Amino acid sequence: MFTEGRVEVDGIRARYLEAGQGIPLVHFGADLSTPSPAHELLARRFRVIALETPPPGRPGPEAAATIGRAVKSLGLADVDLMATADASAAALWFALQEPERVRALVLEAPTALGRDGSAPRETELEPRLSEVTAPTLVLFGTADRQAAQDSGRVYTKLIPNSHLVFVYDAAHAIGRDRPEAFAEVVADFLERHEAFIISRTPTVIHP
Amino acid sequence: MKVSFFETVRYLAPEPLRPEWPVPSGAYDREAGAQAYQAMIERLQLVEELGFDWVSVSEHHYSPRILTPNPLLAAAFIAAHVKKLTIAVLGPIVPQSNPVRVAEELAMLDTFCQGRLVVGLLRGTTNEYLTYDLNPTEARGRTDEGMELILKAWTEPQPFAWQGRHFQFRTVSIWPRPLQQPYPTTYALGTSKESCEFAASHRLGCGVSYGSWESTARATRYYREQCARHGWEPRPDDILYRANMILANTDTEAQEIFDKQSKQAPFPLRAGVREALMTLDSRNVAGVARPAIVNAALPTTFIGGPDTIIEQIQRCRDEIGAGVIDLSLTSPSSRDMGLLTRSLELFGTKVLPRIRGI
Repeated sequence: MFTEGRVEVDGIRARYLEAGQGIPLVHFGADLSTPSPAHELLARRFRVIALETPPPGRPGPEAAATIGRAVKSLGLADVDLMATADASAAALWFALQEPERVRALVLEAPTALGRDGSAPRETELEPRLSEVTAPTLVLFGTADRQAAQDSGRVYTKLIPNSHLVFVYDAAHAIGRDRPEAFAEVVADFLERHEAFIISRTPTVIHP
Repeated sequence: MKVSFFETVRYLAPEPLRPEWPVPSGAYDREAGAQAYQAMIERLQLVEELGFDWVSVSEHHYSPRILTPNPLLAAAFIAAHVKKLTIAVLGPIVPQSNPVRVAEELAMLDTFCQGRLVVGLLRGTTNEYLTYDLNPTEARGRTDEGMELILKAWTEPQPFAWQGRHFQFRTVSIWPRPLQQPYPTTYALGTSKESCEFAASHRLGCGVSYGSWESTARATRYYREQCARHGWEPRPDDILYRANMILANTDTEAQEIFDKQSKQAPFPLRAGVREALMTLDSRNVAGVARPAIVNAALPTTFIGGPDTIIEQIQRCRDEIGAGVIDLSLTSPSSRDMGLLTRSLELFGTKVLPRIRGI
């Protein structure tokens, strides 16, 4: 069960939802209007804190610094960090600004390198992606018409320890469209990082 | 002694590729790929003319090093272009395949090549577990069960159901069946206790690869002991040894070629993945544990001029008991096609005629 809270930083009063125990998983850019089934699933294994995105229009590095202070205000030192769509830029800047505080990074349908058919939004970010040290998972839904799915290959080419996942039949909100598929691969990646590519799925039919 | 040439398809990348596995497929060059497969056919026609007995292919994925992700397709292509060579498929990676499909395809292939097929069945190298999402802890069990099912599919005359641990089929009744009866010469490939025991209990050959003389001999000795336990004695042809060979005109020249060749591990994995796999995959040589992944170049057991190579082949016969050697002449990653051709010709003219009695 999620509980609601608020944290005030830089004159902004940001709302957040929290559930679960264990390693903190902070989610930027979450839709907080209704509880997400993916959050519920992830909260079985992590302390999920879904944080309201800073107001749009602020430069990525500035938004990242605000978020960093918000995370600190919540009493969290290092976290697993997940970001959706436009919040991915702030998450990447945060991973660059404070690498020691980001255990791993999950980017859900990121638009930091542009939306479908549009020019990149964060022109200063791309040249710095090679400096991201956090293990990074980049997810796109195969039915996404908003994020540029083709940019996935750019993230994984530039970020040294990164992996690209296509979630079949999900649109832009992957966690809402395919919550089980999304939560399973995210949780597995956060637990095992690059070793998540090794299957643990049992295939025994009859012992 | 019979001799097989291990065909890896020599893909010559236009630009150097980073040593990694998997290799990003966007780096594939279509022209280089097309040329590699055509050059393979020309090379195998030479191999045939030189008097080699077999050509072998194996299954590896996501890398240009050995460009036969489906060795059965490669074998079918080769079979259409050579007349005398035995086609050795060494082999389909059983735990990640549909065993019934493998049985069907091998039966087709045996018929296509008019009974010149030899089969090797195996668990596969550890990196290949990642290819089709195979759980490493299940690889051994799926291999044993899959091999058993392939043999059953080849031999059972009535439709049957398979109620396995990992595989379940309610109806199996393959067409065609193999041309060779009851089935083609088949090897269980691997040095492990389990593989040797499977081979012995099913009266199959035992195929071993790339180990030192000592560890390989330990595996084949264990295989022979197990065969005796099951009441039969394997022939030399039942033991197959795949190895790297550097052959040159003189010992000195061969050593120089060896010293210059890449010492890179064949399928280098990221450190975190490699370490995780090492804890999940267990490997052994006749029951003695060995690391699942050796992060170095595969050993080269045959190095020298013709006389030395002949002595080493005799040693292989004496110590390992192999009646068939499957040779990679120059490293699969070598770009020197002239060297490969010269090695093949040297082997065909100066070595092959002198080892038939071994």
